[in-house]
Amino acid sequence: MKDQTPASTRAYDEMVDAHGTVRPHYRAFERWLSEQSAEEMVTRRLEADINFRRVGITFSVAGDEAGTERLIPFDLIPRVIPASDWRILDAGLKQRVRALNRFIHDIYHDHDIVRAGKISAAQIFTNAQYRPEMQDIDVAEDIYCHVAGIDVVRAGAGEFYVLEDNLRVPSGVSYMLENRKMSMRLMPEAFSRIKVEPVAHYPDLLLDNLRECAPRGSDDPVVVVLTPGMYNSAYFEHAFLAQQMGVELVEGRDLFVDRNTVYMRTTHGPQRVDVIYRRLDDDFLDPLAFRGDSVLGVPGLLSVYRAGRVTLANAIGTGIADDKSIYLGVPDMIRFYLGEEPILNNVPTWQCARPDELSYVLANMHELVVKEVHGAGGYGMLVGPASTQAELEAFKRRVRANPSNYIAQPTLALSTVPTYVESGIAPRHVDLRPYVLCGKEINTVPGGLCRVALREGSLVVNSSQGGGTKDTWVLEDESC
Amino acid sequence: MLSRTADNLFWMCRYLERAENTARMLEVNLQMSLLPQDNQTRDNSWRAILRLSELEQAFDTEYSSTTPRDVLHFMVRDPANPSSIYTCLRAARENARSVRGSLTTDLWETHNFTWLELQRLLAEGKPERHPGEFFEWVKFRSQVARGVTEGTMMADESMCFQRLGINLERADNTARLLDVKFHEQAQGEAQAQGELNLSRTEQVQSAPSRHSAHSEFYRWSAILGSVSALENYRKVYRDVITADRVAELLILRADMPRSLLACVLAVSADLKRIANADSAETERRAGKLAAELQFGRIESILEDGLHPFLDRFLKQINDLGNRISQDFLVPLSA
Amino acid sequence: MKHAITHTTHYRYSLPVNYTIQLLRMTPRQDAHQRVLKWRIDTPGDLQPLLDAFGNVTHTLTLTEPHDAIHLKVSGQVDVQPLHDGQIRNEDSRLPVAAFCVPTRLTQSDDSIRAFCADSTPNGVQRPADVLTLAQTIQARVAYVPGTTDVTTMASEVLQQGRGVCQDHTHLFLACAHSLGLPARYVSGYLYTEAEHAASHAWCDIWLDGHGWISVDVTNGQFASDRHCRLAVARDYDSASPVRGVRTGGGVESMDVKVHVDVIAQ
Repeated sequence: MKDQTPASTRAYDEMVDAHGTVRPHYRAFERWLSEQSAEEMVTRRLEADINFRRVGITFSVAGDEAGTERLIPFDLIPRVIPASDWRILDAGLKQRVRALNRFIHDIYHDHDIVRAGKISAAQIFTNAQYRPEMQDIDVAEDIYCHVAGIDVVRAGAGEFYVLEDNLRVPSGVSYMLENRKMSMRLMPEAFSRIKVEPVAHYPDLLLDNLRECAPRGSDDPVVVVLTPGMYNSAYFEHAFLAQQMGVELVEGRDLFVDRNTVYMRTTHGPQRVDVIYRRLDDDFLDPLAFRGDSVLGVPGLLSVYRAGRVTLANAIGTGIADDKSIYLGVPDMIRFYLGEEPILNNVPTWQCARPDELSYVLANMHELVVKEVHGAGGYGMLVGPASTQAELEAFKRRVRANPSNYIAQPTLALSTVPTYVESGIAPRHVDLRPYVLCGKEINTVPGGLCRVALREGSLVVNSSQGGGTKDTWVLEDESC
Repeated sequence: MLSRTADNLFWMCRYLERAENTARMLEVNLQMSLLPQDNQTRDNSWRAILRLSELEQAFDTEYSSTTPRDVLHFMVRDPANPSSIYTCLRAARENARSVRGSLTTDLWETHNFTWLELQRLLAEGKPERHPGEFFEWVKFRSQVARGVTEGTMMADESMCFQRLGINLERADNTARLLDVKFHEQAQGEAQAQGELNLSRTEQVQSAPSRHSAHSEFYRWSAILGSVSALENYRKVYRDVITADRVAELLILRADMPRSLLACVLAVSADLKRIANADSAETERRAGKLAAELQFGRIESILEDGLHPFLDRFLKQINDLGNRISQDFLVPLSA
Repeated sequence: MKHAITHTTHYRYSLPVNYTIQLLRMTPRQDAHQRVLKWRIDTPGDLQPLLDAFGNVTHTLTLTEPHDAIHLKVSGQVDVQPLHDGQIRNEDSRLPVAAFCVPTRLTQSDDSIRAFCADSTPNGVQRPADVLTLAQTIQARVAYVPGTTDVTTMASEVLQQGRGVCQDHTHLFLACAHSLGLPARYVSGYLYTEAEHAASHAWCDIWLDGHGWISVDVTNGQFASDRHCRLAVARDYDSASPVRGVRTGGGVESMDVKVHVDVIAQ
């Protein structure tokens, strides 16, 4: 097995190159920042804090009676991305999501990719995320994944890798939108000097797409956002998006099925619902089809869905395509369905399910990042270089016990962006989650949610484990 | 709008109004208990509070005697009492939280602050140490919420449901207050008469003693005060306080904001604004009730008996509340 | 064999129900060896037919006016051909058989089930005869005793208790099949029987390479035959049950079921 570790393991700094020179796309911001006094920046950062809390952009801590809510720290220094980089990302992301949608359609229709031997039947059909109930359901515009969040990182030499696809209920876009509003409010002068691609049209774009994907025959489609309720940690985002799109925010109990139609209970009587942007996992959607104990869903929803009389965004069963084991097959999907070479690469990955790869992983675990195939949120993961000998041994035992549940990737030195820390400004690792919206056309919103690991040296950017966020500035393409 | 949202707004307002009226009532009782009276009368008036909210049984299972301290504890802080000020303010805030997205920031912060302040006041024993101040505070918070609502919330359908909550509760609470207090008053008078009889030194038919005349005045003032109607009474009647005029003011005067008629007229008007395919019968019943009050005469009401009148009224208000839940909101049986 | 079937279900509620929705799987399948001659469903409210992903003929019943009772009646005639060793010929399912390798909570195997399986069929299950062996071992091991289990009883519990009814036998068989990596599915339907057993019944299909689906009645320790009329297939009872519903209100529910299966002269 040839060595796949990237050439340089030193982190790529987004702002400053190896010689200490500010990169061209950061120069304007750097100049503006140097003109600000330290006090001004402190004031701005405090104001951001207060305002985020006031607006209520928080993660609620489940089960807390007093309702204390945690702020996700926002760092004022944006991640700036040059237009040329974004052009590549944009094309690559659209290509990837297009292929993924084709894949999901195939899995729930003729299984061509399995027949062609590109992916094994067992990998797909015995996967916990595969939903047999979806077989032969036709969805509007053949779109399964209306909203995708693709996690992208930049590694040592400056190349981009796709870390993970999130195709079920990807969240975080409200932070992207609020971060931009906050930045514009606190640094208006910077924005007047620097031409940054806007992002505020996301809710409009989403609403348009959702309406385009309404069932046939609905001439003024009614869209709703389905939320598990205010005790869900992402409730703020559900309410935010509903409000921005101007649609109702509903819970399962506000909806009911009758005459092969989904209705919403209103003060004017039942109102027909055409499109449900659901922020609820598949398992909880319909107690007559999935978990019988779920009170969050709508009994009978699957039947109406199968009959083509309601659209669910994202579709049921998209989880089959964002599983870590399926991730490995995405480049093949791009080739198989689109006949193209992937523009964006996967992170090199070893599958412990394969014996020779398992040996490599066990032998080199101290240099690798090992992840559970079925896991989320950064838990069930080992970062080799940051682990003690004891931790390594314990993890090796777990891997040996259940090899097919683990994959390993090289420790990518994620790129860094200067960030405010205790002692001033220092580089911190970042990733990027651009959002891809699919309707009759595929669109991206320039940038995405930039997550930053606030602890020095930490590569873990998840908000639930001490990460923060930044605004992402994609510069306008001057070349056109 | 979503039925559930309207339901939350409705109950948010109903519970806050209930808390305010409970505070008003407790305040009245407190004032009246300072009057010279015998223990029996004092006892009766505290039990009357419990009877008013149909809570006598619930109270008796938890407490062994009817001391003012216990009644106050039960009516102010006890979470087991579904009508205690604590329970009502908690419910109001919970309903507000459920529809936070539908409230202006000002209104949400008002409800939230009321709840947080309540915790603080309870913790430092305010209701026990300065009950009058505490009840004033509760009244004030309710009035502030109404002011903020009127000043900031969109005057649309959601406002109708909020007003319905307030007015149904207000009508219900005022009717109960009248029922109990008039009964109490009658009881007191009968007792006074009985005492006079026993003493055999005064004439039975003549005017009640100076002592009881004053106490009657204070009692009626307190009742009027509890619905902030003392000055209004003077403005309308410019004369001594009499029972039938108190009843008339609080039942039949449309311009008296807390009267039964004013509340029912408001309910009727809002029902018209939100009418849907199912609400015609409810609208009719509200209209009929309003007409009965509008064209009623206090003399006939008193002749037929105030208690039967108020009893019937309470049933009708309760019926309207149930029907509104069924027609627009989340049905109570669900 | 021509089956004449009548199946009535009565629900009664102590309080009014505001809303009922029920997913019915009470219409026999059109399989290769089974043909529905005539069939009708009588219910109050609205009924919406739908063919689900498993090829089952389902109906969604909704009642939106207050009610305190529901009467369902299905009746009709089905022609079922005999099977050789339970083999269902050429079933044209769009679902890949691999999808039936996945256990559910009810059909999850554990060490005791794996051990039991190894004991019963040490060389695995490769031929129809093995299928019968496994079925009969379960039949012997789990006595047919109604009232000791319910619809939430898992396969491992069934094995431990050693008692159950047809759905328990079936869940245990499915757990065994899955532990061997074999696709298997739950079949709900009617059984024509002269015995006093309920005519509503459950059995399994198991997929063997080279043989296709083999249908076996675990409770009776034999291959399925023309006495078995198939209503629905799925991964377990939950997704194959004749009625699965949700209601708002109603208080206490009581249910009364009568199933009658007769054979008509050819």
